[in-house]
Amino acid sequence: MAQRNASRRGQQKGESFMDYSLLFIVLFLVGFGMVMVFSSSSYEANLKLGDSTRYLRQQLLASILGLVAMMVVANIPYHFWERFAVPAYIGSAVLILLIIPFGYSSGGATRWLYIGPLSLQVAEVAKLGMILFLSSLICQMGKKIRTNKGFMLVLLIPMPIALMIWQITNNLSSAIIVMAIAVLMLFVSCPDYKRFFLLGLLTLAGAAAAVFYVVQTAQAHVDDLDFRGARVLAWLDPEAYSSDTGFQTLQALYAIGSGGVLGKGLGQSMQKRGFLPEAQNDMIFSIICEELGLFGGIAVIIMFLMLIWRLMIIANNAPDLYGALLVVGVMGHIAVQVILNIAVVTNTIPNTGISLPFISYGGSSVMFLLIEIGITLSVAKGIRLKDL
Amino acid sequence: MTEGKINHKTYHRSKTVTVFFLCALVLFGLAGRLAYLMVFQSEYYSQKARELHERERSIKAARGRIIDANGKILADNKTVCTVSVIHSQITDAEEVIDVLSKELGLSEEYVRKRVEKYSSIEKIKSNVEKAVGDSIRARALDGVKVDEDYKRYYPYDTLASKALGFTGGDNQGIIGLEVVYEEYLKGEAGTILTVTDAKGVEQDEEGEERVEPVSGRDLYVSLDINIQSYATQLAMQTMETKEADRVSILVMNPQNGEILAMVDVPEFDLNNPYTLQSGMDALAFSEKKRQELLNAMWRNGCINDTYEPGSTFKIITAAAGLESGAVKPTDTFSCPGFIMVEDRKIRCHKVGGHGAEDFVQGTMNSCNPVFITVGLRIGVERYYSYFRQFGLLDKTGIDLPGEAGTIMHKMENIGPVELATISFGQSFQITPIQLATTAASIVNGGRRITPHFAVRAARADGSDSQSFTYPVREHVVSDETSETMRYILEQVVAEGSGKNGAVEGYKVGGKTATSQTLPRGSGKYIASFLGFAPADNPQVLALAIIHNPQGTYYGGQIAAPVVRQLFENILPYLDEKIYTGK
Repeated sequence: MAQRNASRRGQQKGESFMDYSLLFIVLFLVGFGMVMVFSSSSYEANLKLGDSTRYLRQQLLASILGLVAMMVVANIPYHFWERFAVPAYIGSAVLILLIIPFGYSSGGATRWLYIGPLSLQVAEVAKLGMILFLSSLICQMGKKIRTNKGFMLVLLIPMPIALMIWQITNNLSSAIIVMAIAVLMLFVSCPDYKRFFLLGLLTLAGAAAAVFYVVQTAQAHVDDLDFRGARVLAWLDPEAYSSDTGFQTLQALYAIGSGGVLGKGLGQSMQKRGFLPEAQNDMIFSIICEELGLFGGIAVIIMFLMLIWRLMIIANNAPDLYGALLVVGVMGHIAVQVILNIAVVTNTIPNTGISLPFISYGGSSVMFLLIEIGITLSVAKGIRLKDL
Repeated sequence: MTEGKINHKTYHRSKTVTVFFLCALVLFGLAGRLAYLMVFQSEYYSQKARELHERERSIKAARGRIIDANGKILADNKTVCTVSVIHSQITDAEEVIDVLSKELGLSEEYVRKRVEKYSSIEKIKSNVEKAVGDSIRARALDGVKVDEDYKRYYPYDTLASKALGFTGGDNQGIIGLEVVYEEYLKGEAGTILTVTDAKGVEQDEEGEERVEPVSGRDLYVSLDINIQSYATQLAMQTMETKEADRVSILVMNPQNGEILAMVDVPEFDLNNPYTLQSGMDALAFSEKKRQELLNAMWRNGCINDTYEPGSTFKIITAAAGLESGAVKPTDTFSCPGFIMVEDRKIRCHKVGGHGAEDFVQGTMNSCNPVFITVGLRIGVERYYSYFRQFGLLDKTGIDLPGEAGTIMHKMENIGPVELATISFGQSFQITPIQLATTAASIVNGGRRITPHFAVRAARADGSDSQSFTYPVREHVVSDETSETMRYILEQVVAEGSGKNGAVEGYKVGGKTATSQTLPRGSGKYIASFLGFAPADNPQVLALAIIHNPQGTYYGGQIAAPVVRQLFENILPYLDEKIYTGK
């Protein structure tokens, strides 16, 4: 170990490293996502818009833009971003605030800003912003992060952004993801486990208490519950709420269950034909399961696991802590979002709108994820081959 | 920063690995959950999803045919088409509008409205001739659907309309045999299961699942189209020449009750049962009045209506008298042209009277005083018990709907005057089918038979065959009485009031009747004749009833010739049928 570090300190010229495994996994997911976006959206797009490739074309455009951005970012030494830590935090906050006067609504939530012809989901920007900001912050804090004060600081600083995302854009899931990224980065930066164990217990207890409260309230008077409460009830028994809050979950379960082991075959989903809302979006994983079966579903999970594994390797071999933290943030972002998405479509947790990284339809999401991969590739470039 | 690197490296590496394994653990858990849903819950959710995706469309079953004694089809099915358009599948709307409006003879505007309507499926026209449907289908226009369907079709239009009956929009029987044998004729509808999207648009590539319909069973009836046609012709002719309101002719086999013909003109067109008789504009009437007129048009006078039988009923009085021993054929009577019953003077139709006559002659003369005397001799209670024994107080049980019952005095209300009038067939009402059946039972050796049409039901391929049996009550009169009755009634035709019913080369028995309809003095009469042949072993029995004839109204003058003409034609025909064993 010491020997390796010593040789790195020498900063000898080595071949710059391009992580083709990571690149391949990401390109595969983006390509596969495109196929599935077309498969899941073409029927409804044809019926409603008279244009079966509408979603595919938009996704393709965003992916190309994202890939270009990824390659540009991959070639910028990642320390370049260190100076944008504070602007990233403030910029995220400003963008979210801009939603109030200029926001664009879709599906009952105001989450988008229009910049010329492009729409931008500000929460996606905020996730990247938080990764950049926290990486710099943790590096500057040094050993102070081990103190309780430092610990609380890292937890409290993302809170305003998370609260704004939740309250202004009415997007609890993105708020949870921002907090989860922060916690994971903090977890990696601190040597101890005890505080995180407590934090995990507290979160679980809080969730259990919330569910308990919802069930108790429902027994007394259902009308007092807001839509999140109703979603908790629908999670516990989707078939009892099949006409409203449980509808999407139940339709997703029909899709998954009817896929069976081998699936109905690519393009053969019935649930995408108007039955399952947001089939190409948050619920795309259930269409993958319906068409490609258990094998397809597990293959996708394995692809994500490989991606996370690859990110772990890069993080652990990053030339410095800043690079490692950047990659850990990206890894946390992708991992949390994959886990939550699959948990939602399988009704393992209550329904909340989370897209599946790289695969779900959504331009902002795929673009910013590719930029994050670009940063990761840039960190990977700093690894010299003989280190591995 | 470089200083802390070693420290950082050691724990942040292991912590990153921890994060990875935590994620892997959770993802494994989710994969397990996925496997549970997709393997163990798969059947449950697949079933639920299928229920959601599938729409059921029913396929009508072909209704069983009605086939006469010769194998001629009286009621058949015609394939017709329903033409619909599926909006989402239309590629060339203009061509579809053009072709459909021309082929179906509809206005372009009408078709355009339906073609351009945004709906999953829109019906353009139903009951389209198969040839037209085929030619539309041959064009292979996208979004145009031609579905085949069955429609009831009666090849002989008006023939035996009131007996056969017709079917409604869902091919269900409305009146006649069609409704009585509904269970046999209707068959079982099939289904087409199609897969549709959330809006109900059919997904062609998913194919369809069919449960084939089961056709109904064919009904084989005793009705003989040749006899029915000829009887109808005769009835029409009689109705026209006598300017009568209605003419009914019933032809049955007195041995087993099989009905060979049932005519009640005017009949109606079974293929257009809702069109009123010519000369009536359906639109001129209110809905209620129109329905009343239709019901009157569909009414079967042979079974749905009662009438005062008059002298044909003397057959029953004679049989009761002979059976009870109240009278013997050789008993002598004297008719002065009237008879006093209590304080009432009841006239004979022959004003001068028939003078001295025996019972056979009295029957030949249709002498009222003779039958009044016999009736009074029998007495109310015995007479009434014979009514019951002959089956007159019950319905015949014929396999047609809406049979009317006998309208008879209550026994305790029958005084001598009532008994006298009943004896010669007045002051009560029965249906023609009841009179014919009772007369048949008296002349066939005393077996009370059940009149019927249906002989057998079977599928078109001969399977599932079922023969119908009908109750027979033996010994309603003795063999001896039956034989005497055959002899007496043969004499009526040979030399008595029914001689117009005689057919050369055949022994015919029979009885005439002329009755005035109520109220008396209206000048309206019913002339009738009941005949059977051969008189010594009856194989066919016919009853002709002419309602309100103009001019001559005596049964012996106008009704007997109708039966004679009928017999002249059908007796050789029946002989041949029996001879050839058909």
